[in-house]
Amino acid sequence: MMPSAQGGKRRNLKRLAQRQVLGLRNRVVLFFVLGSTLLSLVLSVSTYVLVSRTLIDQRETLAERQAYINATILRPGLRTTNASGQVEIDVPTQLRRLQNPTGTETIVAVGDQFYSSDPLNFSHNVLPEKLRQRVLEGQPARMRFSIGDRSFVAIGVPIPSVGATYFDVTALDEVDRSLSALLTTLVLVSLVTALVGALVGRWSSRTVLRPLGEAATAAEAIVAGNRSARLTLDGDADMDRLVLSFNRMVDDMQGRIARDARFASDVSHELRSPLMTLASGISVLQARRSELPARSQTALDLLADEVTRFQRMVQDLLEISRADADQQDLALDEVLAGEFVERVVEAYERSIDVHGDEDTLNAVLAVDKRRMERVIGNLIENADRYAGGVTAITLRDVGQDIQIVVDDCGPGVPEDERDRIFERFARGSEARARASGEGTGLGLSLVAEHVALHHGSVWVENRPEGGARFIVQLPKVDS
Amino acid sequence: MTHRILLIDDDERIRTALRLALEDEGYVIDEAGSGEEAMNVFNAHAADIVLIDVMLPGMSGFDTCRMLRRVSDVPVIMVTARSDTHDVVAGLEAGADDYVAKPVVAKELAARIRALLRRARTPGQTSAVMEFGDLEIIPDEGTVKRRGEELHLTRTEFRLLCELAGSPGRVFSREALLEKVWGYGYFGDGRLVDVHVRRLRTKVEFDAANPVHVQTVRGLGYKLAP
Repeated sequence: MMPSAQGGKRRNLKRLAQRQVLGLRNRVVLFFVLGSTLLSLVLSVSTYVLVSRTLIDQRETLAERQAYINATILRPGLRTTNASGQVEIDVPTQLRRLQNPTGTETIVAVGDQFYSSDPLNFSHNVLPEKLRQRVLEGQPARMRFSIGDRSFVAIGVPIPSVGATYFDVTALDEVDRSLSALLTTLVLVSLVTALVGALVGRWSSRTVLRPLGEAATAAEAIVAGNRSARLTLDGDADMDRLVLSFNRMVDDMQGRIARDARFASDVSHELRSPLMTLASGISVLQARRSELPARSQTALDLLADEVTRFQRMVQDLLEISRADADQQDLALDEVLAGEFVERVVEAYERSIDVHGDEDTLNAVLAVDKRRMERVIGNLIENADRYAGGVTAITLRDVGQDIQIVVDDCGPGVPEDERDRIFERFARGSEARARASGEGTGLGLSLVAEHVALHHGSVWVENRPEGGARFIVQLPKVDS
Repeated sequence: MTHRILLIDDDERIRTALRLALEDEGYVIDEAGSGEEAMNVFNAHAADIVLIDVMLPGMSGFDTCRMLRRVSDVPVIMVTARSDTHDVVAGLEAGADDYVAKPVVAKELAARIRALLRRARTPGQTSAVMEFGDLEIIPDEGTVKRRGEELHLTRTEFRLLCELAGSPGRVFSREALLEKVWGYGYFGDGRLVDVHVRRLRTKVEFDAANPVHVQTVRGLGYKLAP
């Protein structure tokens, strides 16, 4: 049951991750672009259709009227009879009498003979077959057709009284030109609309998402340790609900953290008085150790060791709950990095070399001496306990910060434990379990807390030569 | 010579355990369970060192210390709840000479007591009378006079003034003063020096906010103007 449920969860997460690829902001922009493009497309297409239909219609009507006029003009000329009473038709001459607008050519059929006003470019063959047949059968008609990429309208009018048929062909070049200009304009307008849509989308997504960004910033600040970060009400009913519940949630969380810290602190406080009594009592017994039988001596030694450890644990707990409760009581002093580390080594009665070039050793750090002494001291003791002691401490200058690098030659720390060992009461697995009797389980978490109070960071790596390397990074003071 | 220590703590078990431990170190112990009781005990047997727990029922540890200061310059060690809250500064301002944080080990406490007793005995390096403007320091008598009028300094304040007066004009770092006056090393609490200097100023200066004698040298420490 469990694995499948987990698998399902994982799939859901994956799906979620895929869906979120675009991001809310980009999705809003995309919606706006698509919407505006669609809208402008619909408008453009209908505009184009409407305008082209109207323009072509007008042009055709005009051409038709012209055709009737021309047919009427031609009719008497086609009836001409000569002196011998025979009908004699000089169609080309008749055609020249017509005053066609440019782009319009006339073709006249008399019997099965066709005459064109521009025989070179327009023979009767250009006329669509259908139109020709229809008109020759006695019905006026008009039809649009195209040759190559040019479009034309052909109009046919039968002139039955003289047994002739009138055709004319009008090029729609002008209309085509207007329409293509219109098309260009519409495409441009569509593009601009899409662009404007994108801009409006970006602007409105930013406006709409700004409160979300503020919430994210506040949440990040809280994660980073600034627990006083809150959202501000801005009078927007929709947002204010989020703001209020967010703030209430953070208040609750802060309250819970404070209660936890206070609890740890209260417990530790209560433990101190009995511990003091215990420790003092034991020191009285220790002064008389030689008077005790051997079994009692062993028991006393056990008691003394455990009380000492207990005492350290309570001190560490107090220190940690203090780190929780208040960041204000950091007593910063400016110290020389090299000298400070050497003093700690001295105070812990070790003979560990402190390396580093002269400038680095003389770099100025602002530290709470008592706390930073515990930091380095805890790292030294940690190495004693789990790794056979510190082999060297090196100071490194990394620009804005100084790194205090504490090396040991123990088994190192497995990758998956490197974050966890800085948690409270977290001990490493195998290697550490052996020595678990001695530590308080709080040493490294105290290191992490104190370093964070100094706006620094601490982490552990494995040395290439083997062993662990703890690195404390602290900001330099500009001098 | 045996020294008398007055233990003021409301927890009887702590008193008993500390008494046993300190008696092993060769001290004579008086006990008091409250500030009021302490004043009576102190009046009956003047102690060489007084140990005050900050958290007392009724009259607080701070008030007890202030009360004691009115009648004596006996060295006082405050037993505070924590080492870095306002308790420490408040205790020192109430007139304590030093502090230890609970839970304290008897050995550490004995070391602090020894350091304070040593300070109480040795008046300073020089025994010649020194004058600084309207101030007159008489090491042999352990007194300081301003315009001929004797000032009431505690022994720690006096010792601090003598250290500074030993090399007039020289700047003493807080670490140096901590070591010379309190016997602490590099990691001693600098607030001991700061609060004692502040208290010293309220006594030897006309205007403690604008000190003429005990001057602060920013970022370095303190000096006595020659």
